[in-house]
Amino acid sequence: MPKKTQTETVTLTIDGKTVTVPKGTVAVDAAKTVGIDIPVFCYHEKLGPFGCCRMCLVEVEKMPKLATACTQAVGQDMVIKTDSPKAVKGRQGVLEFTLLNHPLDCPVCDKGGECPLQDNTFEHGPDLTRTEFTRYNRDKAVPLSPVVTIDRERCIACQRCTRYSDIVEQETALVMVNRGFQNRVQTFQDRPYDTRFSGNVVDICPVGALTNTTYRFKSRIWDLDNAETLCAHCGVNCNIVVGVRSNEFMRVQAKSGENSQANDAVDDGWICDKGRFGYGFVESSNRVLKCRNGKGDTLEANDALGQAATQLKKITDEHGPQSVGFIGSPYGTNEELYLYQKLFRQQLGTNNIDFKTYRQTPGLPVEHYDVGDIETSDMVLLIASDPTEEAPVLDLRIKKSVSFFDVKLAVLNDQKTDMDKPAASSLRYNVGSEAEVLSALIEALNDKPVRGLEKTAGIAPKQIKDLAATIQGSGKVCVIYNPAALTGSASDRILELLQTIGGLPDKQCGAIPVAPGTNAVGALDMGAHPNFYPGGLALSDSEKIKTLWGDEAPLQPGLSALEMIQKAASGELKGLVVFRANPVVDFPGGPTVAEALKKLDYLVVHDMLETETTQLANLVLASNGPGYDDGTTTNIGGRVQFRKRSLVREDHPPDWVLISRMIRALDPEAPSYKNSFGVTDEISQKVPGYEAINKNAIKGMGMPRKGSACSEVQGNGAPAAEKSENGALRLRVANYLFAHDKILDASSPLSHHFKSSTVYLNAEDAKALGIETGDEVKVVSGDAEVSAEAEVSDRCNPGAALVPRVSDEQGLMALVGDPDAAVWVQIKK
Amino acid sequence: MTQLLFKHINVEGLANIDVYEKHGGYETLKKALEQKPEEILETVKASGLRGRGGAGFPTGLKWSFLAKDVFPRYLVCNADESEPGTCKDRELLLKNPHLLIEGMILCAYACRVEIGYNYIRGEFYDLCEIFEKALEEAYERGYLGKNILRSEFNLDIHTHLGAGAYICGEESALLNSLEGMRGEPRLKPPFPAVEGLYGKPTVVNNVETLCAVVPVVEGGAEAYAALGTEKSKGTKLVSVSGHVRNPGNFEVVLGTPTSEIIEMAGGMREGRKLKAFIPGGSSVPMLPAGKVDTPYDYESLQAAGSMLGSGALIVMDDSANVVKETLRIASFYMHESCGKCTPCREGTRWLHQILGEIESGRGKDENIELLQDISDNMSFKCFCPLGDAAIAPVLSGIANFREDYEELLSQAKAGAAAE
Ligand SMILES: Cc1cc2nc3c(=O)[nH]c(=O)nc-3n(C[C@H](O)[C@H](O)[C@H](O)COP(=O)(O)O)c2cc1C
Ligand code: SF4
Ligand code: SF4
Ligand code: SF4
Ligand code: FES
Repeated sequence: MPKKTQTETVTLTIDGKTVTVPKGTVAVDAAKTVGIDIPVFCYHEKLGPFGCCRMCLVEVEKMPKLATACTQAVGQDMVIKTDSPKAVKGRQGVLEFTLLNHPLDCPVCDKGGECPLQDNTFEHGPDLTRTEFTRYNRDKAVPLSPVVTIDRERCIACQRCTRYSDIVEQETALVMVNRGFQNRVQTFQDRPYDTRFSGNVVDICPVGALTNTTYRFKSRIWDLDNAETLCAHCGVNCNIVVGVRSNEFMRVQAKSGENSQANDAVDDGWICDKGRFGYGFVESSNRVLKCRNGKGDTLEANDALGQAATQLKKITDEHGPQSVGFIGSPYGTNEELYLYQKLFRQQLGTNNIDFKTYRQTPGLPVEHYDVGDIETSDMVLLIASDPTEEAPVLDLRIKKSVSFFDVKLAVLNDQKTDMDKPAASSLRYNVGSEAEVLSALIEALNDKPVRGLEKTAGIAPKQIKDLAATIQGSGKVCVIYNPAALTGSASDRILELLQTIGGLPDKQCGAIPVAPGTNAVGALDMGAHPNFYPGGLALSDSEKIKTLWGDEAPLQPGLSALEMIQKAASGELKGLVVFRANPVVDFPGGPTVAEALKKLDYLVVHDMLETETTQLANLVLASNGPGYDDGTTTNIGGRVQFRKRSLVREDHPPDWVLISRMIRALDPEAPSYKNSFGVTDEISQKVPGYEAINKNAIKGMGMPRKGSACSEVQGNGAPAAEKSENGALRLRVANYLFAHDKILDASSPLSHHFKSSTVYLNAEDAKALGIETGDEVKVVSGDAEVSAEAEVSDRCNPGAALVPRVSDEQGLMALVGDPDAAVWVQIKK
Repeated sequence: MTQLLFKHINVEGLANIDVYEKHGGYETLKKALEQKPEEILETVKASGLRGRGGAGFPTGLKWSFLAKDVFPRYLVCNADESEPGTCKDRELLLKNPHLLIEGMILCAYACRVEIGYNYIRGEFYDLCEIFEKALEEAYERGYLGKNILRSEFNLDIHTHLGAGAYICGEESALLNSLEGMRGEPRLKPPFPAVEGLYGKPTVVNNVETLCAVVPVVEGGAEAYAALGTEKSKGTKLVSVSGHVRNPGNFEVVLGTPTSEIIEMAGGMREGRKLKAFIPGGSSVPMLPAGKVDTPYDYESLQAAGSMLGSGALIVMDDSANVVKETLRIASFYMHESCGKCTPCREGTRWLHQILGEIESGRGKDENIELLQDISDNMSFKCFCPLGDAAIAPVLSGIANFREDYEELLSQAKAGAAAE
């Protein structure tokens, strides 16, 4: 693993070319800088030198033996020859050995055409084999998991996969077993290879040994159109390459050194299994392909969008602009969300615009850190976030930073997570006490005495003081937090904390908010907020708003998403557009949300998949969604990247066209755009912070937008934690990456990860309730109840019932009322 | 005949600490503790003692390479003895475990190590028991543990049984195995002296090397260096096996002619003549009978085209066919290749396949050249020395006993013609 960047350089000669590189660079990488390609198998720049395959033999002057260029650190005045007869014969010999027992599978092998073994053989190999023996026959198709299959004959034992598991995902789930020519890759103790990141081994395997089970034998790579694009699941926005044949989806790969260039500022060349195998939604049988009215009659897209626009306008004409609203989602692109807010603000005159049910305002009091900043920080403070389940590739980056860049990780959470393992310190507070804990930490950082928290938060003042001391002692601090997991006033406290850390002497501080969804940062930036215009302009900033949006721009505060639901229930809200969201299942309240939506005069649901909410719509607008539509998204690190389409739909317009036509239906003067970048260009003019964003600027690696400053942080201290009544436990809804929902439906190759409903109880509470692991219980709140299996564990402190969201069917959100208030549940057998 | 390690080897009950002490055991340690660690290190350096595990690296020099001021540091005794023909460490462990313990303590003291491991070959579980019993006795007498003999010096020694892999005798694979990982060699540098066990500075020495430290410290550097040749000091245990009348371990002063060592082992069998010998274990080239007077020391054997290796003298008389012997050795290396690197993993098997064809009368003339070229493609291109060891018998066999190959090949031709 490469250690932190060296500044000292050395100069040497490779094949007569002069090369100057940082000290410690291995010869393979040094050669690359002058365009000399030394063949490798086992070497991978993200795994570091290993030296087992011997493919990279080169001659180094004054060394008696050939050296492996992947392990040989270059030295001053070294003379390296890759093309001397000795080196050429050495490599030829190695290739002959490598091919000795390799099957002649190329004509049917998935890797054929993009195979380093083929390429290296072509370039450096012998013409013929000299072996006359039967090749070693081994198992051809051994599933390591439902999504990864190994062909043991093709394996060249380079150990990339086992080292990846050890070094990158840090699970040691894949291991080498047996010795000599009988060695082979096996899962640890024969357990299925079911980590969150298993698919990456398919990308890095230099032969067709590790295969993507969902892609095996499906296509030849020269028949594929490969689109470099983005994953559309979580907020990391990993760079992927989608392979499509004749407009049919084939596979997802990470964009990495194997096929292009990894985007180190985002994903380091890795993706998670949801990103790789959770792409089936693009061809789901559950897709909304056509627009339709409430009676189920199919409508032409243009008719449908025209109806939607005029109907909404009509409602505002009759009942005023506050009678309509827009609930978007963090899964929309910047262009889509920008256009929707424009439609609602400019054409319909309302600020009833939102995309979430938790509290968060745009802007940070400190810098918005890029994901790459984690590596260069001295300390990462991880608050209320469970990256493994919520933004998986972030988990890899944090582990890498801790293991190889000496970054100190401190975890503050109300639940046990995988991040406790790499953490130098890990504090577990009581569910619901985060505001109090953050306040205490702020006090400690201000060198004020810390009051007793044991009873309410389950944390000793000394622990808070120690954490504060670590923060004070670290130069660069990166705070990563999940805004959606902060209840009550903790959303203000976190900003106050950032402000406090940022204000400490000699401190660099930045934050990465990791909210759920692909584009939560972009959604806020695009003004999908009832109190903020795009670019974090508060309604009070009326002068600026007027300059950008005209004198008519509405300045009356809008309704939040939850308020819109309430007003729908009370009949005050008449018309609503729901864009790629499923409030009936995902919003607090569950069934009551459905009741509220039914009261609306006019519900437009614009989505790509059928949901419980589309069932209630008066008008369904078909959305192509990721895979089919171009657009930009802004990741958790504030980096704007282009999500290119990989598939084409000729018969239905992209969402950005559809929404812009709705605008034009109400204002024929409004612009029409040539392509999605036309909208991006308008964003660069209308959204502060996005001035520099355009097609060229974000090409390849994307570009950070400028984060907006935070509006004033409200400092009103922490409220006393609410008390439990008659033995009720406080509900904590946790996330699970592979939840069985509309995106990962029953046909998903990831369905083996689906979990049944489980409630985690602390031993103390379980004992008091007489509940044991495995008991079938009901989690009850008011009229609502959710079935679950009990698991007694230390995942949370006593006093809480933690239930991961594992499926739509689970109906978990029915238990939740106001997300700001504590939810108390009874556990009944 | 100077006997240093084997002086009391046949004393009844030497493995018992009372008997060991009666014959002067642990006296050297007592005196050594009155000196400074650096003085012991200097003595070992000046004695010219070289590692007896195979590579012959100067022991004192190795100790002085330990990364300065990095603690903890470890001592690991390599008792994995698996080199075909070698059985000297086994005899030391079996009969004189306290000598090893005393040697380990001296080494640990000189190197300022407080934790030692004895990595014992898996098949030696009975020897492990003997060694553990000896450890217990040494603890009881205060030679191990805290404040050894009321000094400031502490040392704990643990044992660890291997799981039956030749490669785990290679020091870095040994360290992996000791750490509970797969027994595969590590990339060097860093060398164990800098980053060894658990990433800390580590001395790895062979059983015999550590035992030899006792007489070195006991008699002083000068006395030890007075024995042997210019570059090969002291005595060496030689395991003589093969076609001799009395195979076994013999302690000889380095530089003794090889022929004399064969005589110590009873000489050749009745009516048989020496054909070939492998002086240093299966990993070194075999030599023809004509070289049997070569002095048994590091430099002379090297000049003769082989190596002293681990000191296993394998003797073959004129009843032996070199192809068959080479096939046997090739099967060992194929079986023991750890599989980490391509040339060794694939090459050892390929060599074995071809040798098998020749041996069973199905060879072809071109096979000899192919064997040589495969060997050349392995030579110095493998990850660790095992790959080079695997080709030593092949290349030396062809070079010195080509007639054995040709005989089998012409039989093959005759057989093919007859069909
Ligand atoms: C394949 C291989 C096997 C080895 N086996 C042994 C062994 O069984 N015992 C041993 O002492 N050294 C063995 N060695 C040598 C060790 O790597 C190491 O050099 C030695 O233990 C150092 O001790 P010394 O300096 O006292 O000789 C082996 C080396 C190789 C390459
Ligand atoms: S399966 Fe692929 S990556 Fe793993 S060791 Fe074999 S060739 Fe290398
Ligand atoms: S970490 Fe997030 S963005 Fe990256 S592949 Fe996984 S779900 Fe997609
Ligand atoms: S040469 Fe290679 S395969 Fe052979 S034992 Fe050494 S590391 Fe293993
Ligand atoms: S790439 Fe250098 S040894 Fe494998």
